[in-house]
Amino acid sequence: MRVVVTGMGVVSPIGTGIDQFWDAATRGKSGISSIQCFDASNQHSRVAGQIHEFDPTSFMSAKQIEQTDRFTQLALRAAGLALEDAGSLESYEPRRLAVSVGSGMGGFSTFESSAARRFQNKSVPPFTVPRIMANSAAGWIATKHGLKGVNWTCSTACSSAGNAIGMALDLLRVGKADAVMAGGAEACVLPLTMVGFEALHTLSTGFNQDPVRASRPFATGRDGFVMGEGSAMLVLEKEETALKRGARIYAYLEGYGCACDATHLVAPDIDGQVAAMQAALQDARVRPEQVDYINAHATSTTLGDVIETKAIKKLFGDHAGELTISATKSMIGHTIGASAAIGSIAAIMSLHTGTLHPTINLDEADPECDLNYTPNQAVQRKVQVALCNAFGFGGNNACIVFTTL
Amino acid sequence: MDTAELEKQVIEFIASKAENADISKISTATTFEDLGFDSLDTVQLLFDAEEKFGVSFDGEEVKGLRTVGDIVDYMSKHPPAAS
Repeated sequence: MRVVVTGMGVVSPIGTGIDQFWDAATRGKSGISSIQCFDASNQHSRVAGQIHEFDPTSFMSAKQIEQTDRFTQLALRAAGLALEDAGSLESYEPRRLAVSVGSGMGGFSTFESSAARRFQNKSVPPFTVPRIMANSAAGWIATKHGLKGVNWTCSTACSSAGNAIGMALDLLRVGKADAVMAGGAEACVLPLTMVGFEALHTLSTGFNQDPVRASRPFATGRDGFVMGEGSAMLVLEKEETALKRGARIYAYLEGYGCACDATHLVAPDIDGQVAAMQAALQDARVRPEQVDYINAHATSTTLGDVIETKAIKKLFGDHAGELTISATKSMIGHTIGASAAIGSIAAIMSLHTGTLHPTINLDEADPECDLNYTPNQAVQRKVQVALCNAFGFGGNNACIVFTTL
Repeated sequence: MDTAELEKQVIEFIASKAENADISKISTATTFEDLGFDSLDTVQLLFDAEEKFGVSFDGEEVKGLRTVGDIVDYMSKHPPAAS
């Protein structure tokens, strides 16, 4: 039994919908700008990948908006687009339609605003808890679209969507669902969350005057990640039933691997990353030398990009030099629990179109980052096996493999 | 603010919160149920009213509010602290 991707939806700082997103990504457009959604003047990091034009009133009622956090609104938009793209799932029994969503922080916009009210002795909105809870997005997607089967949420920080998609694959394989809406959503361009990341010295602080240059994976001068927000969803189905309903197939979701560093909650670890990539490839039954493209985790932190480069070299050996790698985060920042879903869409579109998007701001690579990261210009290359990496706090490494083999 | 003016403002406010409500049909006798509000919608309505009018809906008395008129009466008895 094989699992196929039949629909995709994305809301990102460089565009909404697959066409707009992919056009911007292949042109190397930056979605990073000065923070506009709150006064960030007392923060060290004042840039972010924000979705400026997002308007939930175009697809939600006033009441629904009142009852949802921004991360759920982004997820609902991405899920709606993915379903539109996939075509009707009416041939499936609703109880066999599952939802698997990743989010690192959940409804933190609501958490921050309600906490601020409470500390001022004001009452808090009655939907505070249903807006904050991490499974709010999954619940709303199911409710809006009548997806009545398994419904779960995976929260493993920056690898949340990688695990959510991987666990969707397993769900289909073990026969607990016939189709799954799988992806991730995050909306934490927020004062408390950002200051929290600042306290760990993980955010970029040196490019406040030049936002588009701030997210620069693998490049010299990089000084941390840039916070981003967004959501992406995939419609996954068993190949057989997808073909039966006449669905368009973008790619196979062929493998998933997860491994924990079990060394440090925050610092990345080469062996954990190698183990996750290896597990994903074994699950997909592909050899390392068959891999053409890696959508790297590549957050633009000084340590992380070097560790990932070393992990890739350790696993792929001589073949590492043959790989085409790119970093979606160079354009949209780090969308935390959504990042592996957006990266997956980039990987799938690479397979589907033969165009590989660039890593922007890569004028001069760090000497310790010496692979082919597709600097600044998209390239054309027929790729058949793509790996998407996602490494999160908690030592959580999740990798997924898409193919057209 | 006199009662007639308060009534008018509360009705306008409630109409803005009720989906598909016809403001001409809302009176002090209209119940939250008539407006299609479930219990959580009502809690949300009172929260929004706190924000809008600066009143505090607190205590046992709030549990008995059923109609638009009940809100007007409550607000007459419990004016905003600032006013």
